[in-house]
Amino acid sequence: MTYLYEQYDVQEKHPRLFAIRTEASTLIETLQEVTTHTEFVTLAQIACTDWIEEERFELTYLLTDRARSRNLMVKVPLPRTGGSLPSLAFRFPQAEVMERDLHEMYGIVFEGNTTLYDFVLEGWHDIPPMRREFDTLAYVREHYDFQRGRTDGKDVKVEQKRRREEAKKRKAEAQQQAQTPEGAPHGE
Amino acid sequence: MENRLVTIFHGPQHPGITGNMSVELDLLGETIHRARTHVGYLHRGFEKLIERRTVIQAFTIVCRICVPEPDPNEENFARAVEGLAGIEISERAQYIRVMVQEMSRLAAQLLWMGGQSGSIGLETVGQWSLYDRDLILDLFEQLTGGRVYHMYTYPGGVRRDLPEGFLRRLGELLDHLEKQLPRYDRTFFDNATLRKRAIGVGVIDPDEALANGYVGQALRGCGIRRDLRRDNPYLVYDRLEFDIPVFDGGDVYSRALVRRGEMRESIRILRQVIAQMPAEGAIMQKLPKHRKFTLPRDDIYVATESARGEFGYYMAGDGSEYIRRMQVKGPSLIHGFTLLESLLVGEELSNVALIMNSLGICPPEIER
Amino acid sequence: MTFSHIDIKGIVAPFSAVGKVWEHPGTVCYPDQTKTVAPGYRGFHTNDLDACIGCANCQDVCMNDAIDMVTITQERNPKNKSACIPRIDYGRCCWCNLCVDVCPPDSLSLGQECIHAAPGSQDFLFFPKEPS
Repeated sequence: MTYLYEQYDVQEKHPRLFAIRTEASTLIETLQEVTTHTEFVTLAQIACTDWIEEERFELTYLLTDRARSRNLMVKVPLPRTGGSLPSLAFRFPQAEVMERDLHEMYGIVFEGNTTLYDFVLEGWHDIPPMRREFDTLAYVREHYDFQRGRTDGKDVKVEQKRRREEAKKRKAEAQQQAQTPEGAPHGE
Repeated sequence: MENRLVTIFHGPQHPGITGNMSVELDLLGETIHRARTHVGYLHRGFEKLIERRTVIQAFTIVCRICVPEPDPNEENFARAVEGLAGIEISERAQYIRVMVQEMSRLAAQLLWMGGQSGSIGLETVGQWSLYDRDLILDLFEQLTGGRVYHMYTYPGGVRRDLPEGFLRRLGELLDHLEKQLPRYDRTFFDNATLRKRAIGVGVIDPDEALANGYVGQALRGCGIRRDLRRDNPYLVYDRLEFDIPVFDGGDVYSRALVRRGEMRESIRILRQVIAQMPAEGAIMQKLPKHRKFTLPRDDIYVATESARGEFGYYMAGDGSEYIRRMQVKGPSLIHGFTLLESLLVGEELSNVALIMNSLGICPPEIER
Repeated sequence: MTFSHIDIKGIVAPFSAVGKVWEHPGTVCYPDQTKTVAPGYRGFHTNDLDACIGCANCQDVCMNDAIDMVTITQERNPKNKSACIPRIDYGRCCWCNLCVDVCPPDSLSLGQECIHAAPGSQDFLFFPKEPS
């Protein structure tokens, strides 16, 4: 761990969870150094978060140690369009399927990974679906029918207001009726 | 006539497949030359669904990610939200959660026995173990209101308190299961058919196992003692005494023996939980209303030891009441692809189901 | 097939399974016998219309948009300001109990029934029954 603290700016999220940051251009170098000189030797997960407001993805390479007791997050920012990363499949065979998953769901290209074919979706012709600009509700409305017989639902706030105003109107009318009794002459 | 490579699909409709996935096999006679896993028959898009749901609404989706074993998912989700939002839960809630996890582990191991015995032809044992699992599901029905999808482990604690007499009924069930274990030994674990089929089949190399990120019985079956409940403890596991069974063979039989040991250890842990359960304590912490419950802009990784290995959740919040990202990494992602495709090369066609069952590959958690 | 080592115990011990013949089976002969459903089981909804205030908290929290608020035909609770009661689409409901958790007068709850079969999906729009 001392090597890690000397070379990188380490954030301790938890007694057994740490995080460092790196860039896409130095990713392979950073991971080689960390896995050679520290106890974090295995790749456990590659996670991706879509920060659409900031026009970037943030990938988190999660490394774990031989004792499987502590984890290190290596965070890499990537532009949402046109960005690519080198594949880690040459070093960690398990990265192959994780990168395939992210390629299908986000459209990230991992250079050197020859297995970037369909993972889960078959015959998908739209944009990678986990990207935040993909609107699932709009897609469903376009391609599928909704349940019939659900058109009589009401908005309770609107109903409450409408009934309050009706009740007020009825009360006002009743008061007016009470003030002008039937049969009384008008204008005399 | 020369030998040709024949390509067949093993699955997705096949009694030996653990769920809906298929393995495309290139066969030279009966020997597998290359295997390629195909998933996608069970993709429900949960990670995308969670984008539109507040934290409390998302908790109801999470248990459906892994069908044989929903509880590690709920536990991970609850711990990730508690870690991000800084919520501490009471000791009684922690003990109840450990109890739920161990009961779920027992139910999953009994379900595994059903699958593994079916893949060899010892279906009788599968019928017995699924009956015993049903008794555990009856207890879950009393505790949580549902048999398979519990929706019980909640960020902040658990949703309901223990019903009257629950711990006594759990103790009686453990007595019943302990009486059944020697019966499973005689008919399954010591069965000459299983030993002849399973010893020496599907051998995993220990160095490769550690380097490639294999988890669970894939490690413990080749002599490497790793268990998150001991190495990266959570809840109250650091106060409970249990062993971690480890066998050296690296083959299907060793993994079966590891699971046999784990069933005994789960019963042992449950007995300690019954004895040590605090009588007082809040079941749930007070949480804000669901549209006001925001997560800070931060991320976290939590992991739970499920019956099949390390189950990890990566969760990121963005300051709003929605979860920005929740990425699920079950043990089957690596086992179903990297491990399975390399293990099957050189094996016979009849051993595919045997090896898949021993790894405990669960397609729902690969594709969520 | 070679017999380098004959596993006597492994061949003989499984025959002990025959002993199960003399045990009572655990199967429940449904529908002649029924299992007792545990109290607290999350089955079909019940709604006490004398207590329901038509606030739509249940509709707001429902994670799958299963609940519609529909005008009640015969008013039961004068405190129900919207004169609406929930109707639940059982094609979408996942019986998660969130609607019960947020109901302010505790009128909505999940009962013990769980069986329904119908040919059309529109037969799965349920008005919760009254609690017995």
